[in-house]
Amino acid sequence: MKSWTRREFGCLTGAMVLAGLGPRSAAGEASARVVVVGGGIGGATAAKYLAASARTIEVTLVEPKPDYTTCFFSNLYLAGLCSLESLTHGYETLAHRYGINVIHDFVTAIDPIAKTVGLRSGRILPYDRVVVAPGIAFNYDALAGYDEAATQVIPHAWNAGPQTQLLRRQLESMEDGGVFVLVAPPNPFRCPPAPYERASLVAYYFKQHKPRSRILILDAKDSFNSQDLFLDAWERHYPGMIEWLPAQFTGGIKAVDLRERSVKTASDTFKAAVANVIPPQMAGQLAQQIGLVDQSGWCPVDPITFESKLQPGIHVVGDAASAGDMPKSAFVANSQAKACAFAIVEALTGSERVSPHLFNTCYTFLSPDDAVSNAVSFKPAAGTIKIIDNFVSQVQESAETRHRAAREAQSWYAAFTRDTFG
Amino acid sequence: MIAVSIAAGSLIIFADRSQAADRDGGAQLAAMCASCHRLDGGDGGIPTILGMSPEMLTRAMLAYRSRERPSHIMRAIALSLSDEEIATVARYLAALNRQVRP
Ligand SMILES: Cc1cc2nc3c(=O)[nH]c(=O)nc-3n(C[C@H](O)[C@H](O)[C@H](O)COP(=O)(O)OP(=O)(O)OC[C@H]3O[C@@H](n4cnc5c(N)ncnc54)[C@H](O)[C@@H]3O)c2cc1C
Repeated sequence: MKSWTRREFGCLTGAMVLAGLGPRSAAGEASARVVVVGGGIGGATAAKYLAASARTIEVTLVEPKPDYTTCFFSNLYLAGLCSLESLTHGYETLAHRYGINVIHDFVTAIDPIAKTVGLRSGRILPYDRVVVAPGIAFNYDALAGYDEAATQVIPHAWNAGPQTQLLRRQLESMEDGGVFVLVAPPNPFRCPPAPYERASLVAYYFKQHKPRSRILILDAKDSFNSQDLFLDAWERHYPGMIEWLPAQFTGGIKAVDLRERSVKTASDTFKAAVANVIPPQMAGQLAQQIGLVDQSGWCPVDPITFESKLQPGIHVVGDAASAGDMPKSAFVANSQAKACAFAIVEALTGSERVSPHLFNTCYTFLSPDDAVSNAVSFKPAAGTIKIIDNFVSQVQESAETRHRAAREAQSWYAAFTRDTFG
Repeated sequence: MIAVSIAAGSLIIFADRSQAADRDGGAQLAAMCASCHRLDGGDGGIPTILGMSPEMLTRAMLAYRSRERPSHIMRAIALSLSDEEIATVARYLAALNRQVRP
């Protein structure tokens, strides 16, 4: 989708809807400076809506990678249903259309007293407000035998890009009849339905190309998101292919053996042809380093402005934030980023804002033409964020309904990535 | 019918608010729509809402709210917005030209 973004370049897309936003200042008025750390879903959306909402705000986005590959739809790539290229988006549009100063560098420090952001290159960026959206980090201490180096042999593929590619290559070279062992993490983690969507789409791939192969899910939990929908779909699409073992059955996951390519639980050792270990998670490393996390490992935030409860002037959006009932999803990161951007614009320019509306929507593929959706609305309440309404697909839905959801998901991808990056 | 008269009511409430505030409010609410609806006039399966008359959009939102039209997502959104907010975003989106990209 990179080339597609480039083709779009320079036209009015997206800018149009924002054209009406924001106060217009007299020429020459001093700019307020906002630095956004992390060009993932949360950071890119925050930068775009800040830049488009107020011309008096100078927005800098710091992201080490030259482009971004979405985790959402990466399970379709694992199944061989799309290319990684088509899931990859550049930052050119954010820079050129919205005038965002995009810097490809790594943030190593934030000084909340001096109000500066320090980069690996040595550059120092002053700010009036900073938005931190570093995503997740993995808690390697929690799983014996699995660390950063081990991810090159047994990928987690929980950040999309080279990890996803490695897992796909391993699936491709696996012999028919092998066992794919997927280790599912404890709560809370990035995208609650995603490990089970991954199992579904890998099963789809096996059914086409390696029909004697099996999938074993070793779960750190005793139940999982939309469990009834998945169990029903596995029975219908992939009978006998996917086995799910909850923690109460295995006694929990104890260790990973790289050389044997096996996973040890309290009761057994499971040997894999291909293993995919998704470790326990916490807020991205930078958030840990600069004191934004509490004992939960995530960043407590104000439910209206997403300002850190621990460090004033620093806002946190996306997976790193601990935002009450809101799950860790791209849709949530995008929704939080907009609320946060409008709150910062209000604080820096005195313009009016409407009360925030926060949502999550997730499309989950059970097979390429069987998808389910859920939609949740949230509201700031009592110092946190609470679910207001929650609508989910039901087991008994017609094939046509599911097919329609799968088609809608494709349209959603195009609209959503444009909302974030274009 | 009820739907339209609610919307008309909110229009009156809004009449004395400044146009700029209405436009900013509309744009902030429309930002929420942009997570799923392409706001560039393109129509890739999820229908466009640009240039729709405020009455039509209001009627559609209220039909989602009452479950007369089925959609998880639109129902959650319609329930979350006040009548006044629906009127604001409907006016804002109606005012945007529908301009399909080449
Ligand atoms: C397999 C899978 C499927 C998924 N499917 C869906 C789905 O269908 N729908 C959905 O809504 N969500 C889905 N998700 C979840 C979604 O991908 C995440 O919730 C989302 O990416 C979170 O956004 P974020 O901005 O918090 O973090 P990220 O998108 O991870 O962005 C963080 C960025 O910060 C940068 N960064 C980190 N540290 C620094 C630093 N020190 N300096 C500068 N930059 C830094 C990183 O390079 C990265 O680009 C899925 C996830 C997975 C793993």
